[in-house]
Amino acid sequence: MSQADLSIPFRRRAGRAMEDAFLQEALTIATTKFIGLRREAFDAFPEGEGLRDRAREIKEATLQHLDRYLEQLIGNVERFGGRVHFATTAAEARAVILEIGRRAGARMAVKSKSMATEEIHLNEALEEAGIVPVETDLGEYIIQLAHERPSHIIAPAIHKTKGQIADLFGKELKRTVPADPEALTQLARGELREKFLQADLGITGANFAVADTGTVVLVTNEGNGRMVTSLPRVHVAVMGVEKVVPSMSDLMVFLAILAKSATGQKLSVYTTLVQGPRRAGELEGPEEFHLVLLDNGRVDQLAGPLREALYCLRCGACLNVCPVYRQIGGHAYGHTYPGPIGILLTAMLNGPASVKELAHASSLCGACADACPVRIDIPRMLIELRRQVDEKRIAPWIERVVFESFGWLLARPLLYGLAGRIARVLQRPFVRDGAIRSLPLFGDWTRTRDLPAVASRTFRERWNELERETPR
Amino acid sequence: MTTRAEFMARIRAELGKTRGLPPATPARRPARPRVEAEAIRAELAERWPEALERFRHELEKVGGVFYRVATLAEVVPVVAGIARERAARRLVSWHAAELGGDLGPALTAQGLEPVAMPPGEVASAAERQRLRELVAAAELGLTGVDLAIAETGTLVLSSGAGRPRSTSLLPPYHIALFDRTALVESLAQAGVFLELWHADGAPGPRGAVISFITGPSRTADIELTLTRGVHGPKEVHAIFVEAPIRG
Amino acid sequence: MTVMRASLMITCLGDMFFPEVGVSIVRLLRRLGVTVEFPQGQTCCGLPLFNSGYHAEARRVAARTVALFRDADHVVVPSGSCAWMVRHEYPGLVGEPELARDALRLAARVYELSQFLVRVLGRSEFHSTVRGRVTYHDSCHLLRGLHEAESPREVLRHLAGVEFVELPGADECCGFGGSFAVRLPEVSSQILEKKLRHVEATGAACLVACDAGCLMQMGGGLRRRGSRVRALHLAELLDGGRA
Repeated sequence: MSQADLSIPFRRRAGRAMEDAFLQEALTIATTKFIGLRREAFDAFPEGEGLRDRAREIKEATLQHLDRYLEQLIGNVERFGGRVHFATTAAEARAVILEIGRRAGARMAVKSKSMATEEIHLNEALEEAGIVPVETDLGEYIIQLAHERPSHIIAPAIHKTKGQIADLFGKELKRTVPADPEALTQLARGELREKFLQADLGITGANFAVADTGTVVLVTNEGNGRMVTSLPRVHVAVMGVEKVVPSMSDLMVFLAILAKSATGQKLSVYTTLVQGPRRAGELEGPEEFHLVLLDNGRVDQLAGPLREALYCLRCGACLNVCPVYRQIGGHAYGHTYPGPIGILLTAMLNGPASVKELAHASSLCGACADACPVRIDIPRMLIELRRQVDEKRIAPWIERVVFESFGWLLARPLLYGLAGRIARVLQRPFVRDGAIRSLPLFGDWTRTRDLPAVASRTFRERWNELERETPR
Repeated sequence: MTTRAEFMARIRAELGKTRGLPPATPARRPARPRVEAEAIRAELAERWPEALERFRHELEKVGGVFYRVATLAEVVPVVAGIARERAARRLVSWHAAELGGDLGPALTAQGLEPVAMPPGEVASAAERQRLRELVAAAELGLTGVDLAIAETGTLVLSSGAGRPRSTSLLPPYHIALFDRTALVESLAQAGVFLELWHADGAPGPRGAVISFITGPSRTADIELTLTRGVHGPKEVHAIFVEAPIRG
Repeated sequence: MTVMRASLMITCLGDMFFPEVGVSIVRLLRRLGVTVEFPQGQTCCGLPLFNSGYHAEARRVAARTVALFRDADHVVVPSGSCAWMVRHEYPGLVGEPELARDALRLAARVYELSQFLVRVLGRSEFHSTVRGRVTYHDSCHLLRGLHEAESPREVLRHLAGVEFVELPGADECCGFGGSFAVRLPEVSSQILEKKLRHVEATGAACLVACDAGCLMQMGGGLRRRGSRVRALHLAELLDGGRA
């Protein structure tokens, strides 16, 4: 299944994902594995809980003085010969990057995995401008060949089989290739190595940026982040404004929990700290370094209801533990960012109306908040989004009528009791052995589950008798 | 296009709307990084064997290979052994001044083809291109190490003149030399050194990049099967030299 | 010795669908020497409205409930989710300062049943009304909202007459989630399906939970598949049972 068609209702998109047998197996295996690895990593790291609190506080402290830290970051990037650009919208970010590419005469851009560039739909824009974008993270490379979008924040191609990947590579290389992960990886290494050496432009995101030093930080496992920041003549880093951290000391706190939350590694293989363009005496490194600071809905939330979502490190832990994500995978959400945090980020980028269905794609079980390294209270914000959808009258009228009448009834105990008695009469033809197997209007419940019948005597109706009972 | 002034003004305007937020502070930073870094070194002067053991353990857990030799001269047979087992001969290395010694002649004597990187700016673009191709074609990359973090089995390398980034990146086998002075116990201690290197606005230790390397390049992007050497080296060998490499 | 007084908050599901749970709680608490009161006029805590974003409506329901339980010494709730609603959401939800003060006082006195038994009464040793192997599902709000994993297990581990076994993935949602179960019934049902597979693999005769919502979901699923496993509220094991 490729990127979902947003004209189809979310419930149907989810249904299709659940019919995809391979996706189902892949999701179960991947999320179960990630959950286990994360748990083991934190079990073996007793200081982890305290560091999560610290990390959360650092994010909050940074947001409270975001202006100051960004000014500091900008000043330091410029001091080391970098240029900083400001993009309020996705379109502006694309335009800035295309202009950099044009000036550099770029024909090909190698990219290191970056959700920010996914978010602004950069690849399509590059292609239109005649700059061939090449995703170099293996998972991203695979889905680029398949013309899809990532289905997981850190494992973009978990929905693909090795057979499907072998077919994709075969088509690209015009020969048959074995469906073996090791062989496929080596093939990609060879293909992409050429591109690294040819490309004029390297494009990355940023996991962090250190205000005190003007350093952009990239975390990868494959080494493509190092390639992209060392080999092309121009490096562009695109980063959401919330990624800034005050100092190297703060950075270390995040590094200590990021990989553990994402993959259960103590540290990802490569953490690359880039401080501007090539320095004198260095054999390699870009001649130009550009940092694009991206707003795209973030700044509105500094004082908005989704403020806490700005703490997000993009580790993917909330996806793995989410019972909904685990059934439907990333594509069914239909936006760049899937999973529980993805719903919040989608609302941040596109407004609450864009998530009127997705805001309900959660049982509010709280597993996401529990797994989040910076303890983002995702359920609370999902409820808040539901409230906005309700308040702005975006929810379907029938739903509003049902809930508003229910609320009205709950404030009138006598009528409420009466409603119960009416239900008891109406349900009579459907009750077998104290339960209901099928009930008109309640098919969405009874298709897979029995519904308990309204009791022949409710507790309220039994209380008087119970009150007189003497203790046994 | 949004200007810096407009961009920052919007942020300030939004921040102005937030009131009564609970106070929050960022991480504690070393007030005097040099003093704290020296204190860490002093502590490790006694505790280093435990830290080294932890480093070995963690490095091996992430798929790295650990060696321990007495002197820099003894590095040569280890490197030659690694090369021989992999039928590899072409080796690129940091410049001798950055590595802590010139191992070239000894490696050549062992049948390798070592090329050391130039110590400073290479003005000619053609020469830069030639060197880059040389590194890209090499099988072995020999480097030094600025920090070895025991907690995670991580090697920290800063780029700079005579220490190109690609030597630890393009060849499939990365061999790194370090001694006691590079050893730290934790990420937090490494943070003190990062603060020290950048103290008072200093432009980092040398070049523009600091790389943390924790084992060989890896991916699990195809059916979660762990595969090594996707873009970076598929093997990382760390050789601990007992005698201080640099005086 | 002063007599301990507790008010029962029966909850909407408890009142209409699981009255026997309420009866069990009343009898159990009385046997433990607690005077049980039942404030008249209760309907629902308002959680379904709150979670669906209907906060104005939820606020009215919460205000009523706060007033009803103003004089209660302790409030015992058979569902972790409703206890969580009262404890965590009421104080911020009800508007006027005086009511908010009452809501805060109420929040400090509200307990889910197992919490009340273990943490307030200090009682965890009971005889079971059922025999055989039992397992336990953590309700999301009780576990992650009220951070209560221990009290129900404390009771089940000491329960005479049964063998308690842990349920693999006990902390994972059963797929109920209130309106979620009917908005996205296919997703909800598939989550449930996986939960029930784990339940049946334990070989337990009885699946215990401390939340009417989860029991409605899991019990409904077990009945539909004709399972021999019964879904029961903790209270039903401690007194009376379902006849």
